[in-house]
Amino acid sequence: MTSRQPDLASAHADLQSRLDGLDDLLEHRSRLAACVLLSKADQLSFSRLKQVLDETDGNLGAQLRKLEQAGYLSASKEFLDRRPVTWYRLTAKGRKALLAHLDALARVIGHAGR
Amino acid sequence: MADLDRLEEDLGFLRRAVDGAAPHAPASIYFLWAVLVLAGFVLVDLNENRVGQYWMIAGPAGGLISAYLGWRDQRHSGAMDLALGMRYLQHWGAMMAVIFLATLMPGRGLIAWDAFGPLVLLILAMSYFHAGLYLDAPLRWVGLLLVGGYLMVLSVDAYAWTIVGVLVAGALMVVGFRESRRRDLATA
Repeated sequence: MTSRQPDLASAHADLQSRLDGLDDLLEHRSRLAACVLLSKADQLSFSRLKQVLDETDGNLGAQLRKLEQAGYLSASKEFLDRRPVTWYRLTAKGRKALLAHLDALARVIGHAGR
Repeated sequence: MADLDRLEEDLGFLRRAVDGAAPHAPASIYFLWAVLVLAGFVLVDLNENRVGQYWMIAGPAGGLISAYLGWRDQRHSGAMDLALGMRYLQHWGAMMAVIFLATLMPGRGLIAWDAFGPLVLLILAMSYFHAGLYLDAPLRWVGLLLVGGYLMVLSVDAYAWTIVGVLVAGALMVVGFRESRRRDLATA
């Protein structure tokens, strides 16, 4: 084992621990993007999220359901111009998880920059 | 390192999503103010005595209608953002308040009423330019156009306000049509 290998092993372990700090639920790009978009608005409709994220109905619905089941999002339904609209809002739990995930991401990126 | 590559791609996706969701005022608000501005500016050349009364009604009424149009647009576009609405309200509300307070100067004889009109144009220019910086980017150009309008009313005697009104209304209509087109393309 060369003197360089312990440094690489240590760096890899360090990176791995930073990656482990990421939220599993928010590692999916659409779930993360949905939470980020909802952190900047009071509420967004399903159609709006679908348009911005360029996802299919089925895929987006599945991702949002997971976030809702985890308590990160809350959903409400209403009729607008006689059409059903589902509104999504980021919960306090979701906001906290998002901030923690973004902090962890920043640490990973900061480490990669060295 | 595959994890890092994936993270980088995900962050790129995130950036595109956030940029794509940037809010814009609906075209209807630009069209509304194009009409109000044109009428108000032409009135300066046709019947100067009625200008104050016109803006005392058109200003707040236009603001209320704009607030309603903005709220309705947020609901229909699926993006409710009360904080954004408050920023618009505070920005344009502050502008109206400043113009109202500026009337105290000619009212008390500190400046001539002839100077009040150009002063208002400068206030409008700064307000529109700052709106372009922090709210809707195209409004920067309307702000710069109003600076040109200010210089025009200082140097041209006949129908300067009408010309400025036509140009500013035209610019607002262009911005409105571009916003309308942008939305059509986004939802196509």
